[in-house]
Amino acid sequence: MMPIISTYNLSKRFGNTYGVKDVNLCVEEGEIFGFLGPNGAGKTTTLKMLLGLTRPSRGQVKMFGKDLTTNQHWILSQTGSLIESPSYYEHLTGLENLRIIQKLRNVPDKNISEVLKIVRLEKQKDKKVREYSLGMKQRLGLAMALLSFPKLLILDEPTNGLDPAGIGEIRELIKSLPRRFGMTVLISSHLLSEIEQIATAVGIIHHGELLYQGSMASLKSKSEPAIILKTRNNLLAKEILTAYGLTPLLKENSLALENVSDDEVAAANKLLISRDIDVLRIEEHKKTLENIFLELTGKEKCL
Amino acid sequence: MSVIQLEFYKLRRKQLLLFVTLFLLIEISWAFMVMNHSIARNPDQASWEPLIMTISTMNGLFLPILSAICVSRICDMEHKGSTWKLLLALSVQRRQLYFAKYFCANSIMLAISLFQISSIAIYGLLKDFTQPIPLSILGRFFIGVLLTNAAIIALQQWASLAIKNQAFALALGMIGSFFGMTAGLFPFSIRKFFIWAYFIDLSPIQQHFTNEQITYSVKDFNDLLPLMVTVFMVAVFLYLAGSFHIAKKEV
Repeated sequence: MMPIISTYNLSKRFGNTYGVKDVNLCVEEGEIFGFLGPNGAGKTTTLKMLLGLTRPSRGQVKMFGKDLTTNQHWILSQTGSLIESPSYYEHLTGLENLRIIQKLRNVPDKNISEVLKIVRLEKQKDKKVREYSLGMKQRLGLAMALLSFPKLLILDEPTNGLDPAGIGEIRELIKSLPRRFGMTVLISSHLLSEIEQIATAVGIIHHGELLYQGSMASLKSKSEPAIILKTRNNLLAKEILTAYGLTPLLKENSLALENVSDDEVAAANKLLISRDIDVLRIEEHKKTLENIFLELTGKEKCL
Repeated sequence: MSVIQLEFYKLRRKQLLLFVTLFLLIEISWAFMVMNHSIARNPDQASWEPLIMTISTMNGLFLPILSAICVSRICDMEHKGSTWKLLLALSVQRRQLYFAKYFCANSIMLAISLFQISSIAIYGLLKDFTQPIPLSILGRFFIGVLLTNAAIIALQQWASLAIKNQAFALALGMIGSFFGMTAGLFPFSIRKFFIWAYFIDLSPIQQHFTNEQITYSVKDFNDLLPLMVTVFMVAVFLYLAGSFHIAKKEV
């Protein structure tokens, strides 16, 4: 499959520090790519560089197989976006806002009624945007991004400020886009739970560096359970188990065995007892995606 | 629909036209009241020269602030709704948008100038001025207002787009109004540096005080031409500098 977005050593420097550093992003066609990272990790800066809103300090962006700097006009005509907060003319109605985008995109009238239906704003289309709630403004922003039914949709934290019902609604809508309209979606968020429910592929960025990139399935495979063994002498137990052919990891006051079968656990237990080492506990620990995310980003606190 | 047409479309519901018309009516009414008073005291004043000079003086006070408000309304909507990133992501060029806004503001001020000229002509006819409508003088008056407006709008647009807080641009407009109003009190060597003073300097009528009497003379077009070219160059410079600066600004 052709990558829709590929970046090469994409970097953005602000003074002496890098906001984004050597990011090599690869988004395949038809994916919902979750771009995950704590606040201030460099997500928005990266997305802005993809749209030509910010000039990279170094590196290259290729979209649809073409270089962004030389094909920006064509690439942007194939891309819909919603960056940071939604953009709108608040003194105009929702419909008039869409008309502006319609004229700039040169798309037919029917697209307007279609997107209004998709984001469920048909009844509020003649209201001034100033009178919209935050959720309605967000939905209007999404309608503007969808108006030309682009091949690629770039959404920066689209559920920010929405209530749980609104989040669910937007989530379902985004999930349906590749299937219904053949779109590729790049969505950023600082909420792991959100990305987990939507994305088919994921990239994790922290301090401007891309720490992980791959399919959601392979990230989830990292969350396979580990067996935790607590003995009276963990150091000696580690030696014995290593000699037996296992690969135990020494933790604070226990040993961790990854990817082991039930029979291997039973054999290890038997072996340790036979060597006169008391086994105090055998526990199964499941790593959540959150643990993996925290391990990767090194953030133990709130994201 | 071009980007220029979209600028006019975006001004819907802003009531800008209503505001501009009311503002202009105040200026013209004031000028005509001054003229009525002057004619009542001295019937010799019932001629085109004092009328055009009065409007030129009033323009120095009214048009800088009107330009500031007008440009601010046109530019502020992009800041308020964070629409820069939306438009740029839709492949709209910054310089294209900058030009569209400049064109839009100048068109409104052009309409104002035409309205002023029509009002001058109607007033003169109603007051039975003895001379016919001086089309050549009105033409020069029109060019002067247009050029001065072009330079002021270029400066105001630069300020309004570069600084989000429109209080700065409006304050600049008020300072401009002050200089425009008091321009006549400064010698030309000083006032030539203030673009707002050119409503008077490019006026085709000259005012003289002799023996406690005010007399008027018509300036020669050839004398005005170098000044017109200078103001035009200033407008071009301010426009290009502003456009270049805004094009380089990150969103």
